[in-house]
Amino acid sequence: MKALHRYKKVDVPFELYEIDILNATDEELVAISEDLGLALNLDEMKRIKEYFKRKGRNPYDIELQSIAQAWSEHCCYKSSKCYLREYLFGIEKDYVISAIKEDSGVVEFDEEYAYVVALESHNHPSAIEPYGGAATGVGGILRDVLCMGAQPVALIDPLFFGNLDTPEDKIPKGTKHPLYLLYGVVAGIRDYGNRVGIPTVAGMLFFDESYLTNCLVNVGCIGIVRKKNVVPSKVGGVGDLFVLVGGATGRDGIHGVTFASAELDESSEEEARSAVQLGNPIMKEPLIHACLEVVEKGLVTGMKDLGGGGLSCVIGEMALASGCGAEIWLDKVPLKEKGMAPWEIWISESQERMMLTVRPEHVDEVLYVFQKWDVPATVIGKATPDRILRIYYKGYKIYEMDIDFVVKAVEYCRPYVKRKIEAIDETSPPSDYAKVLLEMLSHPNVASREWVIRQYDHEVRACTVLKPLQGRINREGHGDCAVIKPTDSWRGIAVTADVNPWMTKIDPFWGTASSFDEMIRNLIAVNSIPHSFADCLNFGNPEKPERMGEFVECVKALGWMAKGFGLPCVSGNVSFYNETPYSAVAPTPTLMGIGIVEDVRKAITSNFKGKGEIVLVGETLKEFGGSLYCAITGQRCTIVPKTSPRRLKKSANAMLEAFKNFKVYACHDLAEGGLAVALAEMCIGGGIGCVVDLREMRGDGYVKMFAESNTRWLVEVEDAEEFVKFLRRKGVSAYRIGSVEGDELRITGILSLPVEEMDKAWRNGLTRFTGW
Amino acid sequence: MDDIKVAVLRIEGTNCEDETVKAFRSLGVWAEAVHLKQFYSDMIKEEEQRSIFDYHCIVFPGGFSAGDYVRAGAIFSARVKSVLKRDLEEFIKEGFPVLGICNGFQVLVELGALPGFDEDKPLAEKPEMALGINESNRFECRPCFLKHENRGKCVFTKRIEKGRILMFPVAHAEGRVIFPKGKEEEYVERLIENDQIVFRYVDDDGNYAGYPWNPNGSIYNIAGICNVRGNVFGLMPHPERVFWRYQHPNWEEAEKPGDGRVVFESVIDYLRTL
Repeated sequence: MKALHRYKKVDVPFELYEIDILNATDEELVAISEDLGLALNLDEMKRIKEYFKRKGRNPYDIELQSIAQAWSEHCCYKSSKCYLREYLFGIEKDYVISAIKEDSGVVEFDEEYAYVVALESHNHPSAIEPYGGAATGVGGILRDVLCMGAQPVALIDPLFFGNLDTPEDKIPKGTKHPLYLLYGVVAGIRDYGNRVGIPTVAGMLFFDESYLTNCLVNVGCIGIVRKKNVVPSKVGGVGDLFVLVGGATGRDGIHGVTFASAELDESSEEEARSAVQLGNPIMKEPLIHACLEVVEKGLVTGMKDLGGGGLSCVIGEMALASGCGAEIWLDKVPLKEKGMAPWEIWISESQERMMLTVRPEHVDEVLYVFQKWDVPATVIGKATPDRILRIYYKGYKIYEMDIDFVVKAVEYCRPYVKRKIEAIDETSPPSDYAKVLLEMLSHPNVASREWVIRQYDHEVRACTVLKPLQGRINREGHGDCAVIKPTDSWRGIAVTADVNPWMTKIDPFWGTASSFDEMIRNLIAVNSIPHSFADCLNFGNPEKPERMGEFVECVKALGWMAKGFGLPCVSGNVSFYNETPYSAVAPTPTLMGIGIVEDVRKAITSNFKGKGEIVLVGETLKEFGGSLYCAITGQRCTIVPKTSPRRLKKSANAMLEAFKNFKVYACHDLAEGGLAVALAEMCIGGGIGCVVDLREMRGDGYVKMFAESNTRWLVEVEDAEEFVKFLRRKGVSAYRIGSVEGDELRITGILSLPVEEMDKAWRNGLTRFTGW
Repeated sequence: MDDIKVAVLRIEGTNCEDETVKAFRSLGVWAEAVHLKQFYSDMIKEEEQRSIFDYHCIVFPGGFSAGDYVRAGAIFSARVKSVLKRDLEEFIKEGFPVLGICNGFQVLVELGALPGFDEDKPLAEKPEMALGINESNRFECRPCFLKHENRGKCVFTKRIEKGRILMFPVAHAEGRVIFPKGKEEEYVERLIENDQIVFRYVDDDGNYAGYPWNPNGSIYNIAGICNVRGNVFGLMPHPERVFWRYQHPNWEEAEKPGDGRVVFESVIDYLRTL
């Protein structure tokens, strides 16, 4: 149904419509929402009608569009806020400077500096247009960090796709093949990240059929800023001028947020292309310099990036945060194309734009700096004392609404159901251990990521101390974390991205707890102190109670682990509607863990060095739910590994203390494929074998080899006996299981495999699909 | 010369200027990143205006100048040509050193400053070589072993003994040295004869080898060359990224110098003698 008779063209020399909602019936309200692409439901439309009834007039198109942006799931987290608040937020740490409230988390790094953390999804755009979607995802996250006044120093990209061997005829209509998406997304991140000169140092690559129609592209960024230079995302005060800097505004990226707040379907390709923005790293690169220059010179009072919702969101949010209003002269905004209606200018999500607020006396100096960098900068409005936003266009007032009404949006505690999980364990030993291990190593979720990593410049800025690839040159293995050294001191930042969707798919609670455990394990493995984390929660349609149930379980687990461990969640993002009529994504709470390396000279790499003995830390139990072993052998198990924040904390602390007291050559966490894969990876990176005997440990051989129990590490250490004693005194299980030597992985009574053969399997696992 | 001043040129998209400036500063030399506009634009405030002759060494840093659209380094070099050609020629003729790293090497090639066979005409009319797309057909970031081959002409590697093997990382999509078709051998021989070959890619045993040790498929494994006078040097690998040991893969003594430092030390030595 259309409600055409409710739209009345206003007699002004540009395109402006009055929308007659005061006289509209409920059906017509719904039709108006659909016609204008507002993605608002009837209740929300009725609230708007009420508001305008009180004002005694009908809204203009630009006003309705503005509300739709602010009230979209993407912008206001209306479905997730109440659960996040209940379970996850509020972990107090005195070193957290700002958590959750702003575009990025700000955390103390040392006396002088703070680090800035942001993590976001760019899923829907990447599913439609992988190259542009991923590139603008990188662009957006850089701005989130930049707007705090910080120099971005590292990018992190966790990616999730359908299985690469999916036959063409199994690809649903309107969906692109995972291999095509992988190529496009990696190229997009490469071409944007490399050009702006920020190293891409970490990430994830995970394949599962649930991502076939909804790939997930998450992007994270870390920045560094002098504490005194942290810029708030709000107006400095009444009288401040709004200065729009960066690229011109065009029709690209209209309705990006409302598009991100609905399910994709087969028509999305055609209908939503215009919602995908166009990135320009060569506008972004000088934009970063210019913004940091005006920050360093103390010329700005507030700064915020233009992302979802464009100008409409940034002005409202900046004004609301300082309790003032704003007057905007919309015809000042530099445009890419002629004939744009005011509402289009107001909500366009064109890339590479930032909003600054500046005291009038500093405006000339700010404009000079931007001119020097050839980056456009324009004064487009000023902050006013009342809490009202007014917009003028060519002399006409086209917008007047209370900021509180627009920005302080609706909130839902959506109903949810908790899924029952029946405990099943039908696992049994394999007939051929060596064959299983080789298949594991060549599984796309385990195999070498070199094809991806080498396409990203992970060394630009010359601060990458532990690279994503570690070990023999040109024959490296994977590291557990990348470590960067962002300032002149020896202090470093370790970063890792983790989630295990196979586990969360079976058991959202324990899967999420396991993902948290893995994040901590990785931080510990490089000898860093877990310091903070960010989350990007990717789920299906929240209006379905079972999806909401998955979300709530994940958030509960995350809160339980984080509170128990004492790790603050400083930044995050929720991405719902990763669902098509074909399927929903596995619950995917991507975690980005940040650790502080007190002295980067003491950071530990993952590859065997051939100098010490091997210690296995932690307890191995028969837990195969969501394991690689089940995926390879086709056996069934729903018992996802358990963990506890107390045990994790105790083990993590004991490990860090042990690193201070012992000569440790290598450390690696146990994850997919358990002990066997971890040993193989350490051998591959080092180009050296090991001799292992597991008979001292209890349990079945296949459990010891392949179970994925949490809170476990492998350590190559000089004095294994004392190391084991030390850990056991701290109440942490540890076993001396062998020594690093030879050119085979030899496990007494179980298997013997040449490192060369494992190396080959591991290196071909991904490139057999992608080519090299 | 005592008060050595170094300029690292930048435009939009150059992105290795900070670490390059830092490398010089770490050795006690005054260095700054300078926007090309500071040499010519009348919108620049007086205190920020510069001339090439304010400096004793010019560096074209790595990055993606102007996005490397068209061709790597093409836009940056075109802008330099239009506003600085004569100054730069004079600068080189006077014997001042010019360094191009990665994208900077591409710029020097586009400028006709390398291979730079003609001492009297330091910027050739048109480019005499090219840095083509890698044989792997994509961007690659990886550590590389380089053998120092120069017999003493290049002012940026005087401190490095001939035959020494160093590790610098590469990160580029267009780094394959190509000479005019049919003249490949002639060019290589001329470069050898003139002592213009500086670094060649080798494997971990020090032998000339193919991919991945030669990361882009460069002819004769060439990683870096200098002009006939030895004061203009371009290379694809990044010495500024291995200034310290901790920037290497597999470092043990983190505080020690990295393999790239000698490049900066060598040119400072040279400048001190001027």
